[in-house]
Amino acid sequence: MSVVAHLPRRAPAVSVAAEALPPELELTGRRAMSPEDRRTAATIFQEFRADPRHHEFVLGCLNCGECTTGCPAARFYDFSPREMLQIAAVGDATTLWDGMQEKIWACCQCYTCNMRCRFGNDIAGIISVMRELSVRHGLESTRKVLAPFNRSLTLLMTVGTQVASDMIQPDFFKDWGPFAAAGEKAWAADAELLRRAIPIDVLQTTTSSWEVSVQTSLELFRIYEETGVLDMLRGLDPDLTEMLIDIIDERREEFEEARGRYRAEIEKMRGPVATFTG
Amino acid sequence: MNPVLVLGGGPAGLSAAAELAALGAPVLLVEKAEYLGGNPKRWHYSLLAPDLTPAEEVMGPLLRRVEDTDLIERRLRSTVTRAEPRDRGFRVELSGPESSGWREVSSVILATGFDHFDSRRKYEYGYGRYPALIDFKEFEGMIHDDRLTRPSDGALPKRIAWLLCVGSRDVQVGNPWCCRMGCAVSIKQAVEVRQKHPEIDAYVYYMDIRTYGLWEDLYWKSMNQYGVKFVRGRIGQITQAEGGKRLVATGEDTLLSRPTEVPFDMIVLASGMEPGTGTKDAAQIFGLHVGPEGFLTPKLSDLNPVDSGRPGIFLAGAATGPKAIPDSVTEGMGAALRAYKYARD
Ligand code: SF4
Ligand code: SF4
Ligand code: SF4
Repeated sequence: MSVVAHLPRRAPAVSVAAEALPPELELTGRRAMSPEDRRTAATIFQEFRADPRHHEFVLGCLNCGECTTGCPAARFYDFSPREMLQIAAVGDATTLWDGMQEKIWACCQCYTCNMRCRFGNDIAGIISVMRELSVRHGLESTRKVLAPFNRSLTLLMTVGTQVASDMIQPDFFKDWGPFAAAGEKAWAADAELLRRAIPIDVLQTTTSSWEVSVQTSLELFRIYEETGVLDMLRGLDPDLTEMLIDIIDERREEFEEARGRYRAEIEKMRGPVATFTG
Repeated sequence: MNPVLVLGGGPAGLSAAAELAALGAPVLLVEKAEYLGGNPKRWHYSLLAPDLTPAEEVMGPLLRRVEDTDLIERRLRSTVTRAEPRDRGFRVELSGPESSGWREVSSVILATGFDHFDSRRKYEYGYGRYPALIDFKEFEGMIHDDRLTRPSDGALPKRIAWLLCVGSRDVQVGNPWCCRMGCAVSIKQAVEVRQKHPEIDAYVYYMDIRTYGLWEDLYWKSMNQYGVKFVRGRIGQITQAEGGKRLVATGEDTLLSRPTEVPFDMIVLASGMEPGTGTKDAAQIFGLHVGPEGFLTPKLSDLNPVDSGRPGIFLAGAATGPKAIPDSVTEGMGAALRAYKYARD
């Protein structure tokens, strides 16, 4: 018998009344917001509350702080899952807007907070919903936060992976970890180089690792196209999106060519082969 | 008149039995432990919240009223294994060292009480693995006998923390209810410690303080007379330090919105109240309804909290939900009156 099932549930999301729109921020003493941002904040708030996941993930909060206790991000940043849950549960449009600027990106989606939460909230989940909205609406702060990850994103979306086992070597990460401070002088000079040393072209470094097959990576990209991920990204960074499409178009052509050659070989040996459209 | 069966020898059952005897009714008091007195006796409760009355001063007279009469037949280390309704009353099967077999009873009072939550189920705290981590039911015995020594090395602790709501208000362990007495008992323990050893620092980690009604006085006094300190936020994880001599409590101070790590010599867990195994068994044997939490549910909890809804079966004490001793005693009296009326009519 599930006790959880007997817990009173929050009422489903209601349509947002006019007073939930961001107030004149000058009056609240917060930094001023442009009318455009204010409109976006209101739309985001409405979409956030209408998202069925909000109702599923955010149940209530005792402000016990146990989620923060286990949170790795809370140790390093001015961030806590408890605060994020509060923002999601009781925040108004401007609070949500503020929380969706840099804060949501501190989380590493480890889900420890969920394991700890005595109310059964899906805190990591609601954070990812906020992230999704911030990308969808192309928030300026999101663009800035994510810019350094463009290389990873490019690899992830075109190749299907961005990590190869031979990338994870202490030499490439001298400025990370417990000995960072000791060796600071040694690496400071070529920090830029070290960053570049994270191999951008996975194909050259995966000889000892897993390589995603071309077909798999193209199928993954098809999923991004069909599920709207690419459209989300276009709102945030149209140039990057176009670049990704170019890369994929090229790889699709290469793939078709290879397939054609392969089919010809087979037909030479066995006669006509049925055609699949993939 | 056939005797009234009182199942359970804790405060509620003792109170019911004593009251029935005072009315001149015969009682069959069945208790599964080898002593009467229930949890207060089992764990050697020290002073009782909120008035700091020694537990003996409450339980002693209650026990004497039960033991000093021939009207109460006491059956220790015994249980009821089966029950059958009769036209009036019941036929119940007893199992125990002194007498086994079927007995006729005129009515039934279930005072099967509660069990303390097993703190090992909150594995992130480490109870059962760390000697300096103590459940507050064990701590009762420690302050009662003034054995306030650090289990690791026998030294007097310098800093003690209490962590409230362990196994209560927590769907992770399936117990969303409040234990009602954890706050008061923990604060009382902190006060007792500070009374005996003012050099020990006492910290209470809480998310809400529920010293309801007049008990609030204890909470206030603990601060302005005894210097107990309160931290709003919970410890979410405990680790050992200095080879197990001390514990490190990791938590969030939610008022400062800061993660904290604080060393303590001893941490006391306020483990909650769960329906006892006796309560679950009794529900099955007597075919009674239990709520989603597993406690017995009175038919009309507002109007007649001691009536099970089944003729001749009455409920008292923590079998129907977390309850403090005075409330259990009161319900025992109410159930006695109802059972007496049913048996005599
Ligand atoms: S999922 Fe995010 S918020 Fe939750 S504990 Fe991990 S880093 Fe913290
Ligand atoms: S663990 Fe759950 S209930 Fe506790 S503060 Fe975090 S979100 Fe709120
Ligand atoms: S009485 Fe206090 S310790 Fe017990 S569950 Fe309620 S709030 Fe927590």
